[in-house]
Amino acid sequence: MFSPETQQQVDRLLSRYPIRRNALLPLLHLAQKENQGWLDSRWVNHVAELCEVSPTHVEGVATFYTMFRFRPPGKYHLQVCTCVPCCLVGGPEILEHLEHKLGIHAGHTTKDGLFSIEEMECIGACSYAPAMIVNEDYVEQLTPEKIDQLLDTLATTPQEQETHA
Amino acid sequence: MLEETLVLFRNIRTSRYDGTLDSYRKAGGYQSLPKALAMQPEEVIALVKEAGLRGRGGAGFPTGLKWSFMAKNTGKPSYLVCNADESEPGTCKDRELMLKDPHLFLEGMMIGCYALGCHHGYIYVRGEYFPAIKSLNKAIDDCYREGILGPKLLGGDYALDLTVHTGAGAYICGEESALLDSLEGKRGHPRVKPPFPAVAGFNSCPTSVNNVETLTNVTAILEMGADAYKSLGSPNNAGTHLVSLSGHVNRPGVYEVAMGVGLRDIIQELGGGVRGGKQLKGVIPGGSSSPVLRADEIDIAYDFDSVGKAGSMMGSSAIMVFDEDTDVVKLLHRISRFYNHESCGQCTPCREGTHWARQLLRDFLQNNGSERKLNRLQRVGRNMGGTTLCALGDAASMPIVSFLKKFPDDFRQYYATAS
Amino acid sequence: MEVFYIDDQPVPFEKGEKILSAALRAGLEIPHFCYHPALSVVATCRMCLVDVTDLGNGRPAPKLMTSCSTDAMPNMRVSTQNDKVQEGRELVMEYLLVNHPLDCPICDQSGECTLQDHSYAHGTGHSEMEYNKRVYGWRDIGTFVQLERNRCIHCSRCDRFTREITGTDEFGMFNRGHELTLDTFSDRAMTNHFQGNMADICPVGAITEKEFRFKRRAWKLRKVPSVCTGCSTGCNITIEHDRNEVLRLKPRENQDVNQWWMCDEGRLTYQQMNEREQRLAKPMGRVKGKLLQVTWQQLYDAVADRLEALKPNREQVVALVDTDSTLEEMFLLRRLLQEVFSSDQVFYPQQDWTQPESEFFIETLITTDKAPNQAGARLLGLKGSQEHDVISAMKSAKLLLVLGNPFINEQPLLDLAGTTELMVHIASRQSEWTDRADAIFPGQNHAEKEGSFLNKQEHWQRFWPALRPSRHVRPEWQILSELLHMGTATPVQQTPQFSQIFQQMTSIEHNLFGNLALEKLGESGISLANLRQQSDTLAQTA
Repeated sequence: MFSPETQQQVDRLLSRYPIRRNALLPLLHLAQKENQGWLDSRWVNHVAELCEVSPTHVEGVATFYTMFRFRPPGKYHLQVCTCVPCCLVGGPEILEHLEHKLGIHAGHTTKDGLFSIEEMECIGACSYAPAMIVNEDYVEQLTPEKIDQLLDTLATTPQEQETHA
Repeated sequence: MLEETLVLFRNIRTSRYDGTLDSYRKAGGYQSLPKALAMQPEEVIALVKEAGLRGRGGAGFPTGLKWSFMAKNTGKPSYLVCNADESEPGTCKDRELMLKDPHLFLEGMMIGCYALGCHHGYIYVRGEYFPAIKSLNKAIDDCYREGILGPKLLGGDYALDLTVHTGAGAYICGEESALLDSLEGKRGHPRVKPPFPAVAGFNSCPTSVNNVETLTNVTAILEMGADAYKSLGSPNNAGTHLVSLSGHVNRPGVYEVAMGVGLRDIIQELGGGVRGGKQLKGVIPGGSSSPVLRADEIDIAYDFDSVGKAGSMMGSSAIMVFDEDTDVVKLLHRISRFYNHESCGQCTPCREGTHWARQLLRDFLQNNGSERKLNRLQRVGRNMGGTTLCALGDAASMPIVSFLKKFPDDFRQYYATAS
Repeated sequence: MEVFYIDDQPVPFEKGEKILSAALRAGLEIPHFCYHPALSVVATCRMCLVDVTDLGNGRPAPKLMTSCSTDAMPNMRVSTQNDKVQEGRELVMEYLLVNHPLDCPICDQSGECTLQDHSYAHGTGHSEMEYNKRVYGWRDIGTFVQLERNRCIHCSRCDRFTREITGTDEFGMFNRGHELTLDTFSDRAMTNHFQGNMADICPVGAITEKEFRFKRRAWKLRKVPSVCTGCSTGCNITIEHDRNEVLRLKPRENQDVNQWWMCDEGRLTYQQMNEREQRLAKPMGRVKGKLLQVTWQQLYDAVADRLEALKPNREQVVALVDTDSTLEEMFLLRRLLQEVFSSDQVFYPQQDWTQPESEFFIETLITTDKAPNQAGARLLGLKGSQEHDVISAMKSAKLLLVLGNPFINEQPLLDLAGTTELMVHIASRQSEWTDRADAIFPGQNHAEKEGSFLNKQEHWQRFWPALRPSRHVRPEWQILSELLHMGTATPVQQTPQFSQIFQQMTSIEHNLFGNLALEKLGESGISLANLRQQSDTLAQTA
C-alpha cells in the first residue's frame, strides 16, 4: 500500500527497532501522510500486518494519540494553540478570528477542502505565543493581521506547491 | 542587572552560528565525547554525580544517581532514551536546543550512552515538533556520514546508533514509563512501579530516561569539569538552566540563567517586566501543574529547593506570568481543560475527576457558580492528588487547590455579581 | 514463610508477593476491581488502597498504597480499616459512580455485582455529581456476550483477558481520558471461544452473557458444584439453577484443571440439562412387539424372567457403555457382567483425541473428545472399540445391555442389536437404541444425579445433584445396583446410597482408587497420580 519511496522509509524504520511493534507510531505517521493526512481501517490493518500486531491494538493506539485523524483534513491543516500561555496572550482570540474568517468551527474543514482548523493543547511555542502549526510548520507571535496575510498567501499558492517546500 | 549565564546557549547566542556539524565543530564541538571515551564508563557516571547535575525534566532527580541504578549484567541490552516529549504548558526550552544546536545535545546523548553501556539510544520527540525532528534527523545523518555515529563511535571501538522516534500527541508520554510504553508501540499508559525503568524499561530491558536539557548539560560537564560546573549554581542546585518565560511580559523567551537567581529578577530584567505597565498578579513558576504564586510571593531564588520551600515547584523551569487584568477563573478553567484532555483514563480519580473539575469551572464561567460548587471544586481537586498511579493526578490537583487558596475572591466574585 | 500483618493478623507471604494476593490467599477481604489473579497488575481502579503504617522498617508509607501492586515485606503492618482507608475508598467509589448509570433494576449483574457490593459496603450513598452522565449505546460484540458500555468502570480486565489469556487481542481500549472506551475493532465481532469468561471477570454489568440476559435475577439462583461434560477436560463448574431449571453454568476455580476458565461450548451444555423432548421419562417394556409403560417392579421381574429363560453363556452377553457414564456406573456395569454372567464384554467407544498446542493455557481446554470419562473407562479395564472387535462380539450376543447412548453412528452395530434376544437400554435420553430395546430403564441426567469422572489427565472429580428429578426416573447407578442384586439373587435391604456404591468401588478397586472415602474427594477432586504416590508412601511406611 505504501509507495515504493515510502516503503523504503518503512523498511528503514523497522530496522531501527528490536521488535516490529516498536515502530508502530512512526509507521502510523507515514501511513497518515501517505493517505492525505488521515487514517482509515485499510491502513490500520496494513500497519497491523507490518508490525505483527492485531488491528485492535493499532486502532487502540491510534485513537490514544491526538495527531492521528480519522477524517480527511483540509489541504492546509491549521492547528491553533489555545493552551495556558497562548490563552494568556490571545490564542483563543486568534482561533475565533480564524473561525470567523474561514466560516468554520474548529474540527471542521472548509467546503473547498482547502483549510481545516484544529484547536490544540500546548504545542510548545510558549515563549513565542500565540502560535499555530500549519501542516508541519510553526507560525508564531500571531496577530489577526498576520493571519489574514497568511490565509491570502496560502489560498493563492498553486495547488501543487506545499507550504513547507 | 541580571544577565544570562551562557553554557548551553553559548553557541546559539553567537551570531551566525547555524547549528550545522561544521559550525559546531568550529565552535569547539565534539571535544567532550573523546574525553569521555578516554574514561571508564563508571568514571563518567561518577563525574556527573560529582557535578551535582539534577534532571531538568521536572522532578530534579540527581542524574548520576539515576544512572547508577541501571541494572548491570542482565544479559539484555540496555538503553538510553531521551525524553524530548516537551509538553508541559509553558515549556519550550528543549525545542530551542534541538532546533538550534542539535549537536551539543547529541554529544551529551552519546556520552550518556557510553556511560551506561548502551549501543542504541532513542530520542522520543513529541510529534508536533516537526522542525525539531527534521533538525535532529539531519544532524544524526551528518554524524553517520562523518563517522561520528555508527559501528565506530568517533572512530573508536564503541558502536552506537541513535534513532529519533516521533510521538503523536499525548502529554502523558512525558511521564517516563508512559513514554516507554509509547516507544514500544503501545498506548501511552503509565506503568506500575516497581519495577523501575532502570531494571525493566524499554522492551523490559534496563533503561534510563533523561531529558534533552539534562543530557546537553552532560556535554558541558565533561568540558568544564565538575567543580567549575557546580560553581555556577546554588548549593545542591548545580549549573545553569533554561527558563521558558511566557505570558504577560515584555520580552518572553527562553533564557539561560544560573540556578538560584531571583525569580523576580528573571521576570523584571530578562523579561522586561509586565507588559503595558500593568501590575503583576501572579506567577506559575514551573509549568502549568505547579502551584501558583501570588505577586508578593516571588521574591525567592529560582532553583529546585527554594521554589519548593515556597510551596511550589520549579518543575521544567517554565515561568508563566499574568497581570492584574487576568481572569484567574478562566485561566484555571483552561488549565483544567488541558488535564482533562490529556488524562490517559486508566485511573479512576483522574479520569473522572479532571472532567468533573472542568465542568464545575465551566459553571463558574457561565455564571452558575456558588459557594457549594466552590467547596466541591476544592474537594474534587484535592482528591485527585496522591491517589493515582502516576503524577498526572497530582498535576491536575495542584493548580486547582492553589488557585482556590491564593485567589478565593476571584471565584466568589463570579457568583456574587451573578446573584 | 515470612509473615506480615494485616489489621494485626499475621499473614504469610512468598517472596515478591503483593499485599492483596497474600491477603486473598489468607481469606481476607480487600475490596478491588481491576486486580485479577490471572491477569497482569495495572493498579488503576485504585479501590484496593490500604494504609501501610509500617513498611517493615519502622517507617510508615507516605500515602495510601494500592495493595495489588505493593510488595509484602517481613513485619510490614497494613491497616485496611482505618479512617484514612475508609475515606480513600469512599472517594474512589464516588468517582466510579460519577458516570455509572445505576440501572441496577434492569441490569443482569445486579445481585452479583462487585460495584454494587462495594458501593453498599464502602460508599457514602450520596453523590454530588449533578451533570449529565456519559452515554454510549449497547453493543453486540460476539456470539456469546453483549457489551453495555455505560456500565463500564474501565477496569480493563476484558482487555487484558484477550491479550494475555486468549492471545486473540480482539478487544481493547480506545480513545483516552474521559472518553476511554473498551470495545472491539471497528464493529468486528469477537471470535474467541472463551467469551463467557469476559462476562465472569467483568466486575459490573458491562459484559453479560446473551444466554442469560433477562432470564433470572442473580440472587434467585441456587448453586451446586459440578463438572462440565462438554469434553474430556472436565472443567470445574457451578450449575446455577432456579425452579428446577438450569439457567447457566459458571466456571469454578481449580488450578489443576481449568484455572478460572471454561469455554463457551461447555457453557451451552446447560441446554441439555433442561432438555425435555428427548427425555426417557418412564420405565417401558416391549409387550407383544410394542413398547408400553410399565412399573419399575414389572420391568425388573420381566427382565429376570427373560434371563432365566435365556440362560445366556458368557459369550452371549455384551454391554455397550458410553463414555459420559460415571465411574461408578461403569464399575457397576462391569461387575454386573462379571458376577452374573462371568463375562468381561463391556465395550466403550474408544477414540483418539487431541487438544490444541498453544502457549495460551486456555486454548488447551477444548479437546476433541467430547465425552467426560473416556479415561475412566480405560482405567476400569473396559474394552475399547479400537482394540477389541465389538461387531464380532455382537454377532453372538443374545443379551445386550446398553448404558447411555454409545455408538449411535455405527449402523452395523445398531443393525445387530435387532438380532439379540433381549436388549436392555439404560439411559436418560432417547436414541437409536431406544427403538430397538425390549426393556427401557429411564435414568437421570448429569444435573440430577451424583457421580465422578476421570478427566484427560486422570484427575478424578465428583459432581453433585442440582435439579430435582421426576419420581419416575432413577439414577443409573441405582438401576445397575438393583439389577446386580437381582442377578446375584441377593436380597435388597433398602435403596442403596451413592456413598456406599462409591465405597464399594474404591475398596474393590483399591489399587486404582486407594480405598478413598467419598468425603475425601472434595470439590476440586484429586489427581490419580498423586493418590498413587500417597498410597505408595503409606505402603512403604506400613
